[in-house]
Amino acid sequence: MSNQTVFITDADSESGKALIAKFSSSGANLLLNSLRNSSDWAHELNALKSNGAKAFVANVNLCSSQELAAMLDAADTEIGAIDVMIHNQSVSRRASVESCEESSFFEVMQSNAKSAFFCTQTVGKRMAARGSGSIIYVSSIHSEKPTGSAFLYSASQGAVKMLAHEAALFLGRQGIRVNVIELGPVEGTGASFSSEISGLYDNYQYKVPSGSLGTYEDLAELSYFLSQDEARYVNGADIRLDGGFLMHYMDFRMKKPAVGEEPTP
Amino acid sequence: MSLTGKTAIVTGAGTGIGRGIALELARRGVKVAIHYNASEAGALETQRLIGQFGGDSFTVQADVADLEQISRMIESAAAELGGSIDILVNNAALQLNTEWFNYTEDQFDRVMNVNLKGYWQCMQAVIPYMKHKGFGRIINISSIHGKRPTDFDAVYCMTKGAIKMLGRESAIELAPFGITVNTIAPGAIDVGKYIKAHRQPNPKKFPLGRVGLPSDVASLVCYIASDETSFLTGATIRLDGAGTLV
Repeated sequence: MSNQTVFITDADSESGKALIAKFSSSGANLLLNSLRNSSDWAHELNALKSNGAKAFVANVNLCSSQELAAMLDAADTEIGAIDVMIHNQSVSRRASVESCEESSFFEVMQSNAKSAFFCTQTVGKRMAARGSGSIIYVSSIHSEKPTGSAFLYSASQGAVKMLAHEAALFLGRQGIRVNVIELGPVEGTGASFSSEISGLYDNYQYKVPSGSLGTYEDLAELSYFLSQDEARYVNGADIRLDGGFLMHYMDFRMKKPAVGEEPTP
Repeated sequence: MSLTGKTAIVTGAGTGIGRGIALELARRGVKVAIHYNASEAGALETQRLIGQFGGDSFTVQADVADLEQISRMIESAAAELGGSIDILVNNAALQLNTEWFNYTEDQFDRVMNVNLKGYWQCMQAVIPYMKHKGFGRIINISSIHGKRPTDFDAVYCMTKGAIKMLGRESAIELAPFGITVNTIAPGAIDVGKYIKAHRQPNPKKFPLGRVGLPSDVASLVCYIASDETSFLTGATIRLDGAGTLV
């Protein structure tokens, strides 16, 4: 993918780091949105440059068309126009429908859903002018399956899913492909959505049929595939990446390790 | 089935589907609070139509994008309904038909705040009344566009995708209190303003040879509102005459 330019949001997250590693090792130039200062990125940027990749680090409000457009203008001269956008926002707050405060609504919806719309609008307009592009949303299995602990997160991912379907249709006519990755639990995330009213995350690591959790590297691999011409007919797809976690429902059949083999916590 | 003696609030009941729902609930003996924001004349007309067959209703006004207005509205509706709200029908929603690249942040916020935040906060406001009684029926009117794109209003579509998950999450959270939450996803419904082109429907688009009517939605609302559906919760029911299957 040398000479392609990839925009990754929330570059500071663990998923962001895995995406950066995958795309930079493939020779892509990177536009990264990060809460850290550019100077904090010096070490990582040097490593990227040794791969022959160019990088541009920004810190903009992803809900602001003006800030996004200014960022794209600045990045354009340094690393080129965006070929691939990976919207990688996943803010979650424990919240009950009954007692949640309005401020949490704005926080989660802005971070995950409103940013998705305005990033897609701003980047999509430029991709449309060039007649090509790939947009990938890193979403969650909770765009379909309730958490029992974070309804705003689920609602925001339900919104992103329908945004992607709209974009696949509208931007698809301009040569742009738009897809969603519905990520399940991966190593290192813990039981993020443990709940008193849903048993979904009880012993969740054993509910993946293989008994082995995925990683953010799996996310990066799938994202890379979706960004490539090999995926040219993949558009408007919701791809569940959970190792079959959501297929599980009979707890007594969990692939738990035999007694004595349980890993130490 | 009889719903006699129950109480309801229907948002966006001054026009279209909301009016149809309010009329049918009242016809079956429900005392109905008819909510409107800007359609006062429409809400009064709904009330007049209900009065014609001896039904019991009154109007309440609020902008459901505003939490304070919702709180005030639910409080005054509950007082008029004798301190009880058995049924909430969230129906008030906006659709802008604004093209992607022209959508402004103000428009985005407005659609999100009415269609999603408004639904959630109306639910929040009625939950205490329903918990107190150990009975509640929350029915969210969504759209087939919670599942398929609109091709004319991406943000409207996002709110419908979000409402699906609001319904699923609240169904499991509120189940222990005897409150059910279900979502109805209507297809094309003849409310006058949208679908002139469909008046003589193409059977390849509408297998039943017709578009839906507000009364079709209202019948389903009444069924879900009844005592016969206590095991039905967290469902999204597509009501489109199989239109999205062809």
